[in-house]
Amino acid sequence: MPLVNFTTREITCKLVYYGAGRCGKTTNLLYIHGRVPEQRRGNMVSLATQSDRTLFFDFLPLELGMISGFTTRFQLYTVPGQVYYNATRRLVLQGADGVVFVVDSQARRFDDNVESFQNLQENLLDQGVDIRSLPVVLQYNKQDLPPDLILAPAELDDAFNFRGVPSLAADALHGTGVFETLKALSGIVLKRLAARAPGS
Amino acid sequence: MSLAETLSEITRIPGVHGALVVSRDDGLVVADALMEGVEGDAVAALAASLAARMRGVTTALGQPEPVLLMLAGTDGTLLLAPGPSGLLLVAVAGSDVNVSELRLGVLAAAGTAF
Amino acid sequence: MRAIERWVERPLETFLTESAARVTLLMTSSGQVVAQHGFTRSLDVMSAAALGAGILASTAELARIMGARPLDTVVHQGTAVGVYLAGFETPRGRWLGLVVFGQETSLGLVQLFFARLVSDLAQAAPAEAPARQVLAEDFEDELNSSLRTLFGR
Repeated sequence: MPLVNFTTREITCKLVYYGAGRCGKTTNLLYIHGRVPEQRRGNMVSLATQSDRTLFFDFLPLELGMISGFTTRFQLYTVPGQVYYNATRRLVLQGADGVVFVVDSQARRFDDNVESFQNLQENLLDQGVDIRSLPVVLQYNKQDLPPDLILAPAELDDAFNFRGVPSLAADALHGTGVFETLKALSGIVLKRLAARAPGS
Repeated sequence: MSLAETLSEITRIPGVHGALVVSRDDGLVVADALMEGVEGDAVAALAASLAARMRGVTTALGQPEPVLLMLAGTDGTLLLAPGPSGLLLVAVAGSDVNVSELRLGVLAAAGTAF
Repeated sequence: MRAIERWVERPLETFLTESAARVTLLMTSSGQVVAQHGFTRSLDVMSAAALGAGILASTAELARIMGARPLDTVVHQGTAVGVYLAGFETPRGRWLGLVVFGQETSLGLVQLFFARLVSDLAQAAPAEAPARQVLAEDFEDELNSSLRTLFGR
């Protein structure tokens, strides 16, 4: 649940980037960190192994500015993708207001993506959260790779998008789709907040 | 002499409600022998803080560190004896304690324990 | 000092005075900040909160895996500075505290007065406020404009 302070008129939302190992979660945050003006973001915290695999989480706070009279901040997190770190993923997922599920579009990673998606649903259920009630956006990353190596967005939609949530093609390394993904998830999360009003 | 034995040397003095060995830097209890109702953690933290302040005062005055600090209140007495190994000996007593006997007891225990 | 709700201010002010802590954060268990003192940049506050929440969450999970009782407190002690992290219950749910302290105070004092802070917060917390309208229906234009600014587009 986003943290809302009516006295100081501030909103803080937690958005989590989830997916299999090396699918591009950290790359999304690195791109955002590189493009956002310094005064609108904090330092990126990256708790990683020596081989640059996420060990615990990456964290990037963003200052969106005023939206509807509320100072709005997003806290972006990534989870470690390797199967081994499930306990850590569960901890980072706690309190998430929205999730970007990052899919590695390479055909050879399909099973890993499926396993990760199931893992997301299981970890949410463990916390009493039904994924169908949580804002989710799907990002089909690495769409810049040769077509014979990847699955097209339509194919990936068939596999993952049973709810008809926003899905976007992306090349996180070069920034394609990164901004659009964040925008899509932000919109759903804030719209949900706006809908939670007396009488609505 | 073990810390437990040191503490029992003090607690056997009539009127003593408790004795503690405290880490001077952290203000944490190392060992204690306390009667019901004596808040050991609070005594430890506050006694260590007091000892640190007194050390600051005597250092500023160019004096050596005190060997005994005594705080006498209307309802009781607190004695602190700093030790050399980063420890502090603390005694908490009621108003019925023989203060002289307690002073000697704490100094003796501090001398043998540390 | 900044507190997200007014009722937190006095208990926190008392804690700061008595403990002589240098930096203090109170946050929800998911790392969202409720009150802060001693930070100069609000965005650094969020990083510290995220890290503190992560440490306490890992510690609690470790205890659970080991079949031990919940470990609610973690202390990191450096040569000049210490960090005290603790989870506690409030009428508003589980909160976490992060306290940075120096040699002008001690762990014992921080622990002692933090316990009093917890009890003061429990007494000071008002009943839940009724839900209120948060965002206007046309917030999306502002969101889009804000994101465009963020990404320099």
